[in-house]
Amino acid sequence: GSCRVSMSMAEIRAGFTAIKANIQSRDPIRTLSILSHPHSLHKLKPSDRCCITHQLFTFYVDKVFKHCRTEDSFVNRKISSIANSFLSASRKLGQCREQNNCVCGEESTEKFKQILANYEGLNVTSAAMKSLGELDILLDWMEKSR
Amino acid sequence: SGELYCSLPNPRNVRFESINMKNVLHWSAPEGTGDGVFYKVKYAVYGVGKWIRKPECRNINRTWCDLSSETSDYEEQYYASVKAFLNGTCSDWMETTRFNPLTDTKIDPPMVSVSSTDRSISIILTAPEKWKRSPEEESISLLQVYPGLQYNVSVLNKKTKKRWFFSISNNTLVVPWLEPGTAYCVSAQIHVTTPVLDSGFSK
Repeated sequence: GSCRVSMSMAEIRAGFTAIKANIQSRDPIRTLSILSHPHSLHKLKPSDRCCITHQLFTFYVDKVFKHCRTEDSFVNRKISSIANSFLSASRKLGQCREQNNCVCGEESTEKFKQILANYEGLNVTSAAMKSLGELDILLDWMEKSR
Repeated sequence: SGELYCSLPNPRNVRFESINMKNVLHWSAPEGTGDGVFYKVKYAVYGVGKWIRKPECRNINRTWCDLSSETSDYEEQYYASVKAFLNGTCSDWMETTRFNPLTDTKIDPPMVSVSSTDRSISIILTAPEKWKRSPEEESISLLQVYPGLQYNVSVLNKKTKKRWFFSISNNTLVVPWLEPGTAYCVSAQIHVTTPVLDSGFSK
């Protein structure tokens, strides 16, 4: 089966664009990426996209947004707005998985393991801020594979 | 080679300027330096562990460097950096912010071709192509890069100054019920819904 989840990509994208420079400037590490290396999301098979999308939304909700508080209230508001959108989308994706419309293949399981390894290779705050700064990598991949 | 003691002021405003994914690094000369400043450039793919020197932009005295070839994979993101040299001293490396070709490029207006009958206008729109290394290389339309690409079309009756706006996803539009013998001005813009990117209107 297939799994279609409605969410406002434009709203998330606009929220991220507003804080992108601020967030990315807090990440001094050029040589490591949480999401895109060593293997790009773009190389995943279509059949694995639903599962990895759900895993990534859960990852952002559980491990990223809560560790991204800043001293800037504008930035914090944008982060919580994005977090709310992710929370509702990840719930809907979860229902898909329960209805078995969103099967996890070996590739997506392997890719997600690698993302967690990249994340755990840094201290929590750096890893969370880097992950948040890479949100456009996730959004670009999602929009391309719609 | 050992690095010199770097007391030269830094290059300023180091940034990518990108149109249709022709990605050119630009910067301003260090403050207070006249002629005789030379530069070298390096770049890095974000997430990959090494900086790569750009030989064609080594010891140059211009303040730009075309990195289109090196940044042509728009599924990746990039950093670039510039260092200045003058009279045996140098500046620090000065970096861009993270560059995402997909969201940080500007898009040219579409090409507009118009044919008409006595009471209607047929408009055909062509999105610009992504930058390519050589004319022989296969062309990629920005339509392929941005699945959400749309066209906003404006049709102006030059006599009455009345204007119509249309937003279309395909690239053809027929505007019927027009006044015979009247001049109309057609202009079009590209609008990408997400990421949000808008071209200017065509002339």
